Amino acid sequence: MKTSPSRTWASSLPRWFAMAGLTIVVLGPLYWVTMSAFKNREEIIRREPTLFPETPTLDNFRRLFTATDYPTYLANSASVAVATMVVTIIVSMAAAYALYRLRVPGSGRLAGIILLSYMIPGTLLIVPLYGTLFRLGLIDTHLGLVLVNVAFTAPFCTWLLRGFLLSIPDDLDAAAALDGAGPIRTMTQVVFPLLAPGVATVAVFSFVYAWKEFVFASQFVLSDSLDTLPIGLKAIIGQYTVDWGLVMAGAVFTLLPTVLLFAVVGRFFVGGLMSGANK
Amino acid sequence: MRKARAGRPSPANFRRRNPGELTLGYSLVAPILIVMALVIAVPIVDAVWTSFQNQRVIGSEADFVGFATYIKILQDASFWDALGRSGIWLLLNLIIQTILAFSTALLLQRPGLWSRLAQVWVMLPWVIPTVAVTIVWQWMLNSNYGVIYRALEDLGLSLGSPFSDPGVVLFTIILVNSWHWFPLSAVVIYGALTTVPHEVMEAAKIDGANSWQTFISVVLPIMHPILFALGLVGSLWSFNVLDSIYLITEGGPAEATTTMPVYVYNTAFGAFRSSEAAAASVLTVLILVIAALAFVRFARPKED
Repeated sequence: MKTSPSRTWASSLPRWFAMAGLTIVVLGPLYWVTMSAFKNREEIIRREPTLFPETPTLDNFRRLFTATDYPTYLANSASVAVATMVVTIIVSMAAAYALYRLRVPGSGRLAGIILLSYMIPGTLLIVPLYGTLFRLGLIDTHLGLVLVNVAFTAPFCTWLLRGFLLSIPDDLDAAAALDGAGPIRTMTQVVFPLLAPGVATVAVFSFVYAWKEFVFASQFVLSDSLDTLPIGLKAIIGQYTVDWGLVMAGAVFTLLPTVLLFAVVGRFFVGGLMSGANK
Repeated sequence: MRKARAGRPSPANFRRRNPGELTLGYSLVAPILIVMALVIAVPIVDAVWTSFQNQRVIGSEADFVGFATYIKILQDASFWDALGRSGIWLLLNLIIQTILAFSTALLLQRPGLWSRLAQVWVMLPWVIPTVAVTIVWQWMLNSNYGVIYRALEDLGLSLGSPFSDPGVVLFTIILVNSWHWFPLSAVVIYGALTTVPHEVMEAAKIDGANSWQTFISVVLPIMHPILFALGLVGSLWSFNVLDSIYLITEGGPAEATTTMPVYVYNTAFGAFRSSEAAAASVLTVLILVIAALAFVRFARPKED
């Protein structure tokens, strides 16, 4: 069958529309908030919106860093997110190795219990969780937040690592054992290095989760000086409600860290999510 | 899709291997079990216990009142309204996100530079914090300065007040939340699509199936297991969403956006009625368990 060039062009038109549509739907809002953050007070509320700032200004960012507690919130979020990421990596790697590689007796049931309890909606547990953290003396501490975050990231991450572990051949362990390596050396020096893509996936997932987390942080942290970014940004919005430029600058500097992280390791993450979820 | 387990040690011959592995194995699972016991198991027991009391501020002195709190909750119209709203929330989120995710996944499958780049940036709406998502959309849909609001106005379409009209605000937030969450499903579905073997598609084409028939009778069955898992986990995640709603409306106006998680949150931390919040949580978990079991019973892929 012969198709004329004009016909192929016409038949691919819907696809071009869909691609353009998706690009605008996903990247449009991000472009718009970024551009708005560089506009001055007059331009940002102009009747005819400008696609690009006429007189780009850094004033909004300067005020964000000097007039608000943004730097404190940023530091708090960074420490909670990094701690969550590190602990999640350790806990989920250990659990995945025992459950899906060593396959200790009862591992099938344990894996099932971990995944099942993970399905219980966390927001419904917020009341008793407050009580539990209170008794542990972890209310109003970053440690309490990290503990809660890990409980809600580690099960999914353990399950994600399963796919990666299954793709590492078992013969490697046997070979290592023949060379006289004990179980711990086999784990840390033979299997774990091969898990790097899986660890990257887990790292992004847990960091992003902790960076975004709002519900628990809003109730379990009481002091303003310990608040994370989502809570702090909400407070800034409440305080400077008509100062759109400042609010946009705050939004940009809240989403920027995750976007930057994603720009560096996003490729691994998407690949990891695809292969982890499909094994 | 399960992989063959051939060559893996079974529990029976485990002991014949290095005995150190057993100790190592259990010490490795211990941390996750301790964390989950503290953060999930203990609070669940605590919730059940609190729901049989008449506690107000969390942790304050309270008396055992049996099922009185449950009876109070079951007679509370707000509880049932919240449950109904959660139903609408879940259903519409599921429909909108599935359509968006599937179309995105099919577009990502096309070869070319656009698809390769899109595979990474398409995740951005999910990566950015919910608080930023809500600011962006409140700004673009602002009735005085919003760029989308203005553009539609120029076309003769008025959005009214998308964030304060009780009749539409829930739907506005559903759209915002769908934008935030669809990338995750899109990437998982895209991953599942890549597992469909080329030969199967070719065979279907030779048999004279058009692309729609191929999709329904060949691609979907192969993807059934992953769609099943995504449906189950995605629904529970969707149900659980509190931040998108709370950051925009805190459940208002006049409870128009009070879904079940918002109801529990506001009852506990706004009205300081801990026992009622706990009872509502317990009832909701029970309803979710029944719904999940029904879903597993009817949508589970057949074992082959």
